[in-house]
Amino acid sequence: MKRQIPLIIIMTVGWVLMVSVFVPPFESWGEEASLFFDIIAVFAFFLGGGNLIRVHFTKINRKSEGWGFSVVTVAGFAVMLILGLFKIGGSISAPVDTAGTPFELMFRYVMSPLQATMYSLLAFYVASASYRAFRARNIEATILLIAAFVILLGRTPFGFYLTAWIPESFSILEIPNMAVWIMNSPNLAGQRAIMIGIALGVISMSLRLLLGIERSYLGGD
Amino acid sequence: MQFDIGIWIAALLTLGIISFLYKDNVIYKVSEAIFVGVSAGFWFISLFWDNIYRKFWVGVFPDPTSGKEPQYILFGGVLLGVLMLSRLFGNKAGWISRWPLAFIVGATAGLKMITFLASNAVAQINATVGNFVAAVAAPTFAGLVTASTVTIGTFCGLVYFFFSKEHKGWFGGLAQVGTWVLMITFGASFGYTVMSRMSLLLGRIDFLLSDWLHLIK
Amino acid sequence: MTAKLYTTITAITITALSLLLLLIAAPHALLAQSDAVAESPDSATTAVAQVPDLGPILITVEDFPSDAGEALIIGWEDPGYVSLPDFIEYRVTRYTDDSDNGMVIGTSVLNPEVIDGEASHSIAHSYTVAAVFPDHEVISARSEPAMAEIQWVAADKYAVIIIGIFVCAAVIFFIETAKRGKTLFLRRIAGLEAIDEAVGRATEMGRPILFVAGIQDMDDVQTLAGLTILGRVARTVAQYDSKINMPCRASLVMTAGREVIKEAYNVAGRPDAYSDDMVHYVTDEQFGFVAATNGIMVREKPATCFYLGAFFAESLILAETGNSIEAIQIAGTAMPAQLPFFVAACDYTLIGEELFAASAYLSEEPRQLGSLKGQDVGKALAMIAIVVGGISVTLAQAWDIGLFQVIESALRTAFNIQLPVR
Repeated sequence: MKRQIPLIIIMTVGWVLMVSVFVPPFESWGEEASLFFDIIAVFAFFLGGGNLIRVHFTKINRKSEGWGFSVVTVAGFAVMLILGLFKIGGSISAPVDTAGTPFELMFRYVMSPLQATMYSLLAFYVASASYRAFRARNIEATILLIAAFVILLGRTPFGFYLTAWIPESFSILEIPNMAVWIMNSPNLAGQRAIMIGIALGVISMSLRLLLGIERSYLGGD
Repeated sequence: MQFDIGIWIAALLTLGIISFLYKDNVIYKVSEAIFVGVSAGFWFISLFWDNIYRKFWVGVFPDPTSGKEPQYILFGGVLLGVLMLSRLFGNKAGWISRWPLAFIVGATAGLKMITFLASNAVAQINATVGNFVAAVAAPTFAGLVTASTVTIGTFCGLVYFFFSKEHKGWFGGLAQVGTWVLMITFGASFGYTVMSRMSLLLGRIDFLLSDWLHLIK
Repeated sequence: MTAKLYTTITAITITALSLLLLLIAAPHALLAQSDAVAESPDSATTAVAQVPDLGPILITVEDFPSDAGEALIIGWEDPGYVSLPDFIEYRVTRYTDDSDNGMVIGTSVLNPEVIDGEASHSIAHSYTVAAVFPDHEVISARSEPAMAEIQWVAADKYAVIIIGIFVCAAVIFFIETAKRGKTLFLRRIAGLEAIDEAVGRATEMGRPILFVAGIQDMDDVQTLAGLTILGRVARTVAQYDSKINMPCRASLVMTAGREVIKEAYNVAGRPDAYSDDMVHYVTDEQFGFVAATNGIMVREKPATCFYLGAFFAESLILAETGNSIEAIQIAGTAMPAQLPFFVAACDYTLIGEELFAASAYLSEEPRQLGSLKGQDVGKALAMIAIVVGGISVTLAQAWDIGLFQVIESALRTAFNIQLPVR
């Protein structure tokens, strides 16, 4: 019962929606399913948000290591909920992220810089990953590095200056041209092989789900 | 120098996150705690107004002047959403929350299967053969070399992903070429991304030096 | 320690060099932009007062193919108005009765076609097309009334239908074959064989295991793939009495993750060892999630990190932080743009298709393994199409060999490939 009903739901919904893609009058069913998903996700947030609060309140209650940071997290969460749900400082009929409201200011001066900075850390991590690939002395890593280096140089004026002396008849050996060729030939081939493989993987995985062969995510009886 | 509290908060949080590169520290922990709390709240509010109000409420009770039909079917989404909350009642009723999960899994499997088949498999085979058609129709040495490389590369790449045969002998040779093609692809993506990642860092440095410290204009 | 210091110094050096390259590149890009601006010609502003009569605008109205009866295609023949200097645009108006109350449904300048996406399949519409000039319009006669038609089969997707049925049939055939007890050979995948070893290592070191099922929600097949692998990982964790920590970016993933781990502990015969706290929600914000997961990594120092699902820019941040704590890292994703970073920074990476195959491999269940064989048939089909397509195109077009012209034509029809315009 606990597993049979979900399995019936999966099979019915899955096969019906799959067929609907090929029947124009029912093509919009996929969009409606996506709307259902959006609505379910909000209700699910009560579980997620509830879990967030529980985890941090437990830490605060037990005075676990770093409980002070949990206070900050819970406070930040509560502030955003109050500002956003009641649209404090803005008109009730205006969108919640109207410029100048406290909610929008929190986004602009707190969340946005945090997002951008976290993202920018990638500059350092890209460099350390390059070095890691450089240290791995095997043919695959070398090929990866050479391709990366050619593309990197090909996108800067350096690449052009370095090989500008090459005669016109061998212009394919100029780094910017090599970069373009790599992007349009072997890179494209690899991307296509990966994408075709992914499609077949998704088809096979979906069939396993729709036939009820793969059901571990449903839990037990 | 004008004192702008918002810019100062943004700058301190920026430094807090960057400090993680040195090591985990109190400033990073505070920044992280703020980030998690504020962003979780932000997302709930965004989801609430966007999904519950704009998509559900306005969908079911549209403005009479808009001429739109009420979409009562959206109550189905709410019903599934409410079933999701059965988890709050522990093991006795919690298993009912599998129904909305099953709905999502079924819909995802059914729809994505066709999407990937069309956009990844058929479209990519189409493009590979199509490139060859174009190259042969107006043959140039460079065009033919490129089209052949793409065709052979895609073929060998697919050989690499074959599960049913051991990568040995001639088949192993093709798979090896496939591995090299994949490595070139990864290298190309890697090299292509490096500069954009650097520009992100420059963006933050620019914020600190110009917006915050006003050292550069 | 020295190696770590060396890595850090090199990373900073490479970063600095890259920044330098970017700084050098920036002025060039700006110069290129300013050149482009300088080279752009001024727009012509000559005025012509009189619009010559070039003849009538002839309209055609056709049903939009493969739709639910919601659109009509309105096309026209341009008698030459487009090339007149003062021509502004063609304007298409829809009429639902005999009155002159029409509704403008679209405009076009060069393309002699507009699609009316709000046409009805129960009311007939007629249309006019007007060539618009600053103070004059040349209007066509009204078209014959036409209605949109409902199509019950999307004929434009026939290639997907045929190939889809073929691949699905192959997968189901091999599932059934395996069910009957036939042994199917599958080659080994290194990343999957390393899972037990990686969990064992964490147990020996007394450190936890971190599992991230991507940052997408349950409506992404990659998340589902990650969760199915989680089942196997969690069972091994339960057997070894190790610890698992699964931070989640989406609440639904948290719910499903708990079901998976709970069931794995049940199967391993250790239901009492399971706790909901093993899986916890962090935040829906991508980089907020990464900041917190990084924090967990440097504080709890997991011995093994699994990143299996859909990842975006955070892939490298997670993998490099994992490296800094010397964790064994097993990654898998079907996001082509993130694969290079996992390949460079992780010990094992499941590339694209391997992520979806992993759960079948790990289950060791014949039916699941059979599905992988079916997948291979799909791959063989793609490979044959590519090779036969290439050869037949060459032979058909370069040497005019009839048989290959037939094959080429069949392939082009099957995959809907257009011939280039010569």
